[in-house]
Formats: sequence, structure tokens, C-alpha cells
Amino acid sequence: MSNEPIISLRNVTKRIGRKTVIDNLTFDVPQGEIFGFLGPNGAGKTTTIRMIVGLISITDGQILIKGNNIKTDFEEAIRHVGAIVENPEMYKYLSGYRNLVHYARMVPGVTKARIDEVVALVKLEDRIHDKVRKYSLGMRQRLGVAQALLHRPSLLILDEPTNGLDPEGIRELRDYLRYLTRVEGITVIVSSHLLSEMELMCDRVAILQRGKLVDVQPIDYFTHGSDTSQTYQIEVQMPEQAMAVIGQMKGIEELKRSEDGFIEVTAERELVPDILEELIKNHIRVYGVQRVRTSLEDKFLEITGGGQVV
Amino acid sequence: MYNLVLNENMKIYRRVRTWILIGLMAGFVILGNFVMWHEAKDASADDWQTQVTQEKENWNKQLQKTNLDEGLEKFYKERIAVIDYQLEHDIHPTQGTMWNGILESASLAMLITLLTIIIAGDIIASEFATGTIKLLLIRPASRLKILLSKYIAMLMFSFVLLLTLFIISFLLNGILFGFNHMGLPLIRLIDGQVVEQNMFLYLWKTYLLNGISTVMYITIAFMISSAFRSSAMAIAFSIGTLFAGNILLEVLRGYNWSKYLLFANTDLTQYLDNRPFQDGMTLSFSIGVLVVYFVVLNLISWLMFTRRDVAA
Ligand SMILES: Nc1ncnc2c1ncn2[C@@H]1O[C@H](COP(=O)(O)OP(=O)(O)OP(=O)(O)O)[C@@H](O)[C@H]1O
Ligand SMILES: [Mg+2]
Repeated sequence: MSNEPIISLRNVTKRIGRKTVIDNLTFDVPQGEIFGFLGPNGAGKTTTIRMIVGLISITDGQILIKGNNIKTDFEEAIRHVGAIVENPEMYKYLSGYRNLVHYARMVPGVTKARIDEVVALVKLEDRIHDKVRKYSLGMRQRLGVAQALLHRPSLLILDEPTNGLDPEGIRELRDYLRYLTRVEGITVIVSSHLLSEMELMCDRVAILQRGKLVDVQPIDYFTHGSDTSQTYQIEVQMPEQAMAVIGQMKGIEELKRSEDGFIEVTAERELVPDILEELIKNHIRVYGVQRVRTSLEDKFLEITGGGQVV
Repeated sequence: MYNLVLNENMKIYRRVRTWILIGLMAGFVILGNFVMWHEAKDASADDWQTQVTQEKENWNKQLQKTNLDEGLEKFYKERIAVIDYQLEHDIHPTQGTMWNGILESASLAMLITLLTIIIAGDIIASEFATGTIKLLLIRPASRLKILLSKYIAMLMFSFVLLLTLFIISFLLNGILFGFNHMGLPLIRLIDGQVVEQNMFLYLWKTYLLNGISTVMYITIAFMISSAFRSSAMAIAFSIGTLFAGNILLEVLRGYNWSKYLLFANTDLTQYLDNRPFQDGMTLSFSIGVLVVYFVVLNLISWLMFTRRDVAA
């Protein structure tokens, strides 16, 4: 594996009319990573993906895929990309299989065996010879993934791939994205509204808001918090007294009662045994302690300030 | 490029709609030929020598008339010359043979233009309307190649229709009238000389000259499709041009500049039969005008298709 990024965006800007839809986006995605694109409706996720695959022009800046400029070396750059942009629209009057044949013909070297392989991967064997008209949304999504994988791309871009998939389908998608990145070394960019999905799927997440990149962080940052101090939830018999006891201790950063009656303490990890010891010394019965996970969703709302649609 | 055309063909011929259109055209040709055969059968009781002699006498009578229209007089004299030649060399006229129906059917080539416009208007615009354009354009094939492959597929489609027309009218008229006059030459008067022409050659010349107008209409449909990305618009506008164009021409015939209009030049069979839209127009003039329109229209399609953002 080389350290060269598979895709790199440099100061990418898109203006439509007078509106700046994408504002100065810069980031790299290295090989084998699953990179998440997160943002409220209208943040510019789809617009960015459209620029990456060359469907719309780039007003300013440049996009390199494996070192090829999408604008000037379109054919060489796009060769390495498989994508779904918004909904995977296929030819409804053709069978799923014929649709795949159609896309297979457009790239040299895609064999019949390869078509069968991707059909098996997305588990569409039983219905592949039906007309796409008769497919359910989830089946179309699976076919969409299949067409994106046909030519063994180095970069797979999926715009809201979980849209329409059942829980089993989502789990399978997650599994084969893992497989593709870990075993075949493919790089994946996904955008999604299902934030909890991103937590389970992505290595790194970029948060986009009103066309601007707010933050790019490894997924751990969102799931475990940024520093050593964390919030713990404690269930006790006498919350009032317990609050008083803990409140007198040193090193407590925050202390409050949660809505459901638990005590929430923010402190360094090393302080947790001390807190428990103090409570027990004061004859307060403790039923449980739990680390409060700052989920991506909370963090996301926190960062984007409420997640209103722009 | 070969594969791209294969794809476009798959998208055309694996649709029920296409076969309905082809069937419709075949139905028209068959019906038209049956009606013509029925009429011809009733008319021809005598042998052809008697018939053409009668016709000649009729024209001679007309020529006796004073204040005869100049054009009519010319037409009568031409017919008489042709009849004399046929009687002298014992050449059967096309009437009463398979060739009459086949030549008449060639005028149905207009139907080919019509059907081709319907498919051509749809072949680009529907990709935008259904969103399939996105998955089509994110492949290692330039937009120019995609456009070109669609163009070639349309040329092939109109050729398929032409073959259908030819085969059906040939076989049907052969069966109805008999194949015995297959080698019949066409007798025409060109520059005051009676000449024999190969019937097949004449027929295919008519077909191909008609094909040129079909190509022009494909080009118009493509331009509208690329510009507005709407099938309905492309089909309506092109068919509108096809019909309204001819009506408009009649109105504008008096103006000298009307000879530069596209529709004044699309029908090149006007030179085959020696009756140009305006005096002084020649085949090379029309071809020149068509080439200019062809280049400009295609340039617009190309710019619209390759440069614009795809927001479908
Ligand atoms: N063709 C266009 N003309 C004008 N504005 C546009 C156009 N396409 C997109 N936009 C604007 O660009 C912004 C970003 O849109 P985009 O579709 O990229 O959002 P998104 O992040 O994909 O949203 P969603 O989560 O709803 O899919 C929106 O404010 C939208 O209104
Ligand atoms: Mg979107």
C-alpha cells in the first residue's frame, strides 16, 4: 500500500449562479479508508460527489483521483471510480442483468464471470433476470452497488447507499464495504443521513455544513470524546445526598441530575473509583455506573449547531 | 465505440415501444399496397399495349386544345415520348407490375423520418428525464463518444426502417403482381432524350435522398434534446418542423431568401424528378445549405451535451 492519497480535493469551490454551493473544500482520502460525508439536507454532499465524478464542472480548485485530474484527464481518472449518485437509476425496461451488461461494455476487461461475481456479492441472483421495473427500492440499491463494483474500482463512492435497504441489507452492505477495504484495498466514500450508521461504517468522517467543511475527524473522536475527561452516569439510592457528597470532591468538572433521575458527572477516568468510594463511605447505595457515550449524532448536532436544514 | 453503439441498440430494440412503431409502419405499407393492388386489378382488363395506346390518344387529344398551360403541355409530350419508346421496344410500363407499388411505397419514406424523430427525440432526453444519464456519463467514455454512439444508433435505426420498407413492399408487390417483371427498366425523359434506367438504382437513389432529410431531422431532434433535455419537446418540435415547415414553405415561396430555409432543401428528390422548389436551385446548392445547417446544429448539440452540468 502506498501513502499516496487515492483522492484529493484542493480548494474545491462550486458556484451555481450567485450562490456558492461548495466553498473551498480541501481533504485527502488514503487507500483502504471508509470516509464518511456527513451533513444536513442541502449541505452539499451530493454536489461534491457530482464534482468528483465529473458530472458538473468545478468552479475553482481541483480534484485528483490517483493523481489524474478529473477535469483534464477525465477518462483516466474516472476509470478508477465506481459510484452511485443520489438514486441508482437504471433502465427500467431492461433486466437487472442487461443493465450490468450495459455498464460492463463501457469499461474494457469486465468479463461475464465478473458480472456473475458482483451479482452474487449483492445477493441478487434470484431476481437478476427480472426487469428493473419490478424491483423494490432495496433491490435497485443493490443493483446500484453492483454496477459500481463491476470494473473493480479503486474508489467507490456511494451517495446514501443505505437508503431503502432493510436492516439485514444495511448489515450486509457494511460487511462487504469492510471486506472491500480490508481485503481488496478499495477506498470508499459514503454519504448518509443515518448518522448512527456512519459510526458503524466509517473510519473517518467529514462534516459538511452550508457547503463548508466544518471538521474532519477519525470516528473515535466522535464516539469517545476528545480528551481524557468523560461523562459518567451514576444510579444511586439517594441522589440529593449523593450530589452533595460528589460536589465537595476535587477534580469534578461538571455535575448535574439527568432528566431520568441519574447523576451525571464529568471527570477524569481516574476519579471514578474515588467517587464510588466516597459514596459508599457516606452510606449511599450505588446501583450502577455507566460511561455516557457521546454519540456521533450528539456531536454532529453539537458541531453543526442543531442541524437545521439550510 | 463499437460497444457504445451496441449499448444504444440494446436500449432501442429491447423496448416494446420500438417494435410497436416498426409494426405500425409495416402495417401502413401493407395496407397501402393492398389498396393500390385492389384498384389496379379492377382497372386492367386489357393488355398493356392497348392501355398505353389509349392513354397516348388521350394526351394527343389534350394537346389539340388551344390556350394550353405550358407545364401541362410539357408533361403530355413527355408521357407520349415515353409511351412511344415503350411500344417500340416492347417494354412493359410499371403500371400493372410489382414496380408500381414499390415505387409508390418509396413515398412512405416520410414515415421513416417520422418514426426516427420519435426515437431520436427520446434517446438523449429520456436519459436525463429518468436520471440514467448519471450512471452513463461516469464511465471512461467521453461525452462526445456517447453522443456519437447515439447518433450512429439512430442512423442504423432509420436504415433498419428503410430495409423493412423495401423488403415488405418488394415481397408484397411481388406476391400480388408476380415477380416476372423484376428486371424491368425505368423509362424516363431526361433533357429531351428517352433513357432506360435501372429500376433498383432509381429506387435506392430515392431512398437515400430521403435518408438525407431523415439525417437532418435526427440532427434537429438531437439539438433540441441536448438543449432542453425533454423528450416531449424534442419530438413535438421536430415533427412540428416536418409538417409546419412544408406549409410555411408554400407561404414563403414568393420570397427569394426562402431558398435558404432548411426545409426548402431537405427534400432532395426534387432534383431527381427535376422540379426544384425555386428556379435556379441546384443539387449542389441544396447540399451546400444542408451541410451548413448540419454543421451548425451538430455544433450546438455537442456544446450543449458536453459542456453543461448534469443535475438530473
Ligand atoms: N442545480 C442547482 N441550482 C441551484 N442550486 C443548487 C443546484 N443543485 C444543488 N443546489 C443547491 O446546493 C446545495 C447543496 O445541495 P446538495 O444536493 O449537494 O445537498 P446534499 O448535501 O446532497 O443534501 P441531501 O442530504 O438532501 O441529499 C443546496 O442548497 C441546493 O439548493
Ligand atoms: Mg444528496
